[in-house]
Amino acid sequence: MKENILIIGGGAAGMEAATQLQKLGLNPIIVEKSEALGGHIAQWDRLFPAFHPAKDVVDQMLEQVKDVKTYLNTEVTDIQKDNNGFHAVLSNNETIDAKAVILATGFDIFKAERKQEYGYGIYNNVMTSVELEKFFRTGKDARINNPKKIGFVHCVGARDVKVCNTYCSKVCCTTALKQACEIKEVFPEAEVYTFYMDLRMFGPGYEDLYLKTQKDFDVKCVRGRVCEVSEDMDGRLVIKAEDTLFGKPLKMTLDVLVLMCSMEKNKSIDAIQQKLGVANNSDGFMQNKDMYLGMNDTKQDGVFVAGACTAPKSLPDTVGEARSVAVEVFNYINNK
Amino acid sequence: MNQYIFHPFVLPFVLGMAFVLTYCVVGLFRVICLLPKDDRKQFWRSLVTPKTAWANIRDLFGDCLFHVKIWKRNPILGYMHSAIAFGWFMIIVIGHVMLFTLKPLEGVEVEGFARTFTNFYYPIFYKHFATETPVFAFLMDFFLLMIISGILIAVVKKIYSKIVGVKRVTKFGFADNMVRFALWTIFPFRLIAEKSNIMAFWWLYSIDLMIFMCLLPFTRYMHIPTEALFILLRHAGLKPREPRKGYALAQIYSCPSCGLCIDACPMSVNDKMSGNTSAYFMKKLRNADDKEAKRIAETCMQCGKCVAVCPLSIESCDIKMTQREATPYIINSDHSYLEDRHFDRPQGAEKSPSVLYFAGCMTQLTPKIMRAMKQIMEAAGENYEFMDKDGGICCGRPMLLSGKTAEAQAMIAKNTEIIKQSRAKKLVLSCPICYKVFKEENHLEGIEIQHHTQYIDELIKNGKLKVNKGEVNYVYHDPCELGRAFGVYDEPREVIENVGNLKKAKSEKELSICCGGSLGSFNLTQQERDEITENSVNDLMFNNPEQIVTACPLCLKTFARKSPVAVKDIAEVVVENI
Amino acid sequence: MDFGFCLSPSSHVKMDSIDLTTFNRLKETNPDVNTCIACGSCTATCTAGNFTEMSFRRLLLMLQRGKEDEAKKMIQRCMLCGKCTLVCPRGINIRKILLDITR
Repeated sequence: MKENILIIGGGAAGMEAATQLQKLGLNPIIVEKSEALGGHIAQWDRLFPAFHPAKDVVDQMLEQVKDVKTYLNTEVTDIQKDNNGFHAVLSNNETIDAKAVILATGFDIFKAERKQEYGYGIYNNVMTSVELEKFFRTGKDARINNPKKIGFVHCVGARDVKVCNTYCSKVCCTTALKQACEIKEVFPEAEVYTFYMDLRMFGPGYEDLYLKTQKDFDVKCVRGRVCEVSEDMDGRLVIKAEDTLFGKPLKMTLDVLVLMCSMEKNKSIDAIQQKLGVANNSDGFMQNKDMYLGMNDTKQDGVFVAGACTAPKSLPDTVGEARSVAVEVFNYINNK
Repeated sequence: MNQYIFHPFVLPFVLGMAFVLTYCVVGLFRVICLLPKDDRKQFWRSLVTPKTAWANIRDLFGDCLFHVKIWKRNPILGYMHSAIAFGWFMIIVIGHVMLFTLKPLEGVEVEGFARTFTNFYYPIFYKHFATETPVFAFLMDFFLLMIISGILIAVVKKIYSKIVGVKRVTKFGFADNMVRFALWTIFPFRLIAEKSNIMAFWWLYSIDLMIFMCLLPFTRYMHIPTEALFILLRHAGLKPREPRKGYALAQIYSCPSCGLCIDACPMSVNDKMSGNTSAYFMKKLRNADDKEAKRIAETCMQCGKCVAVCPLSIESCDIKMTQREATPYIINSDHSYLEDRHFDRPQGAEKSPSVLYFAGCMTQLTPKIMRAMKQIMEAAGENYEFMDKDGGICCGRPMLLSGKTAEAQAMIAKNTEIIKQSRAKKLVLSCPICYKVFKEENHLEGIEIQHHTQYIDELIKNGKLKVNKGEVNYVYHDPCELGRAFGVYDEPREVIENVGNLKKAKSEKELSICCGGSLGSFNLTQQERDEITENSVNDLMFNNPEQIVTACPLCLKTFARKSPVAVKDIAEVVVENI
Repeated sequence: MDFGFCLSPSSHVKMDSIDLTTFNRLKETNPDVNTCIACGSCTATCTAGNFTEMSFRRLLLMLQRGKEDEAKKMIQRCMLCGKCTLVCPRGINIRKILLDITR
């Protein structure tokens, strides 16, 4: 009989791990709290750096897991471990016995209201990167009304002691440039500015995207952190930042301001995580056993982690970890 | 000399007494001489002004002998203090009254200096020399036992302070411990000596008194004689001007290091930070440890809670400010660029606004407050204008807090000028930090100054603003500079009760705990501030409110980092319920 | 003798010979001066910066490049309002650093 492997979370990491485990002859079971598989990536329109439609990738992944036993709209409410493995109770009162557990619970988006000085939820024309992505997908957003000037603020909720997140969220820089190009595609006449501190173009093709942003899309990158946003008489946004390369504070009127919200640890899993005995690291994400060779392991025997639940990660990072976790679990089951 | 009126064991006492009296008289002259001339004049005048003279008498008895303030805060500690102080006082008074009734003195010829000398110690040791009448015997025993009962409580408190409701107590040095031990044993020795008449105990009793009095000036017990002087100076309406001179000196020696401020101080979230509290500050000043005194003065958040709980009302915050002013600056500020600033009357506005709204630096970072204020003033149909829409001039409070008074005055004067140019009747502020300055420093006669809590309360009361009562449970945090500084406690609470349910925090009003974001402190690190904030949030969450409401942009931002529930300004909460 | 031109002083920051006394002294009492990422939040929000050249970000750089006189001149403009400390994403106690420089 095939051994059960419980995968909590049906996003990119969960789906990819399930696919690989199935190929390795194990029986993965996905428990997903929302109504569909796909996670955050399914909410995305196109992916950096090549503007590839996210739907393509998600559809391929869904196709591969179509035979995997999946619970939707379901959460794990309790989990116990004994000599026979793990026993999980689901919110639909079913129970699952599994030999190993993979936590693939991903991330939450930083709540932009927490940076009150950026005016999200106060001024009409301040939106988050997630909402902009939805606009690209659906073409609808009341705030985007043929804007003439658009600004992007990097590091919202990241690298910021004042919101208790000191880490870099890794993917926002590239996403901002991608979105800046895309909005320019929709409104070629608009002026687009990004306010960055460091542009972290860490992956293959990312620097090319940066170049393209400047050359083909005429996006203006200003080095300085936006620190205050207010509204003028006409309801347009007035931002304050320092142009640190020019060495002068600047003020600018914008029609739309996009906040590049960081990734935060998905806290809805905290109770189960505690029952499994998996701790958090100093950034509030899950602590894996070792940064280099044990990134999928936790201190708890039989509990594995994959994807953005341990740190902010891009899609390729996540898929890579999902594949490696499958091998780790396979070895764990066979060596028992 | 006759053996009935003298024995060598009185000598240690006489020595100690002579020393402490000399010390106190010299100290008294020093304090009064070091007062600035105007202050000294004010002091003499206050002694003969009937109103202050009456207050002096009332407080000398109420505070020094009966310790009314401690009774109110903690009856056990109140009894402990008044039993020892009042009991001792009565023993001395009755002892001296008895001088005239004691039998053996009549038969002995003691005149002139010898007579005075005898009177000096006789009431202290009379039982060895004479017998008193039964009424006096009863009174003396009664008060002696009263003192001993007070001392018993003191011993228990020392061993287990939580019994009397005190968590953290002041840590003392050798001299303090010696004097305390002497104080504890003086009266039990006296009781034994009186009842048994064993010479050894008379000696112990006398030596104890000597230790107590000789070490007194170098310990916290100096507060016993100094407090009286401090009460007189306080009622004269003086302000401390230098950290270790004049009035401040009297306050320093009046601090009994009781440690009530240690538990009260928001910084006492851990042992290390509790060393920053006022009790230790006073101790450092007393020991002339300027370096440490300076450090503590600059770490203090100036929330004023230590002053609020101090049984002697020692103005430690003001003394810390004088300590800050005493630090020299090598760079002089130049704010001449402010000169050509003026009130920008908006185009088309013919009339002067009736309300001028000054958001302040901090409120610029909390646009929700500004927007809510705008909506409230619109809803109330007020004729208003923003004073610092396009960036204003700092109110000057941070400069004052840094001890740069002259520089602050330049900004204060400019703001006063701008406000007068607007010809508004009323100035409304959102930031309690600004409110304090505009109330105390700016000369704005004829212009009503309100914090927005008071303003909103007024709008609701006079019917200009209609609000609905919602179902949300709120808890209100008193910002230090609105609550403790100006006693604005009721207006915000009335406003909140108009729009929802008000839950109580664990510590409220004058006991409210600073949010930890205070501009008052220079030294606290982000991490230390976070600990203070967490403690303050826990206190507010005592009755599980659904939202925390405050009335200060700085408190709002500080709490928002650590609060498990939404944190809002009172103006936002009102707007949600218009 | 007139050559028709003159030697002007080099505009380089002479990193080999700069005087870092003030900065090093600051570093002792405020280790967080090293954590600045030069984001410019302090400058953008500065109350005095609204009217003058005041910029804490540049002031810190001036000290790191040995331009102490320029830094001390700039600091005169500061109103000490503390907004910079409030917005600093690194949690640097800017007001304390400014005060430490002035004393």
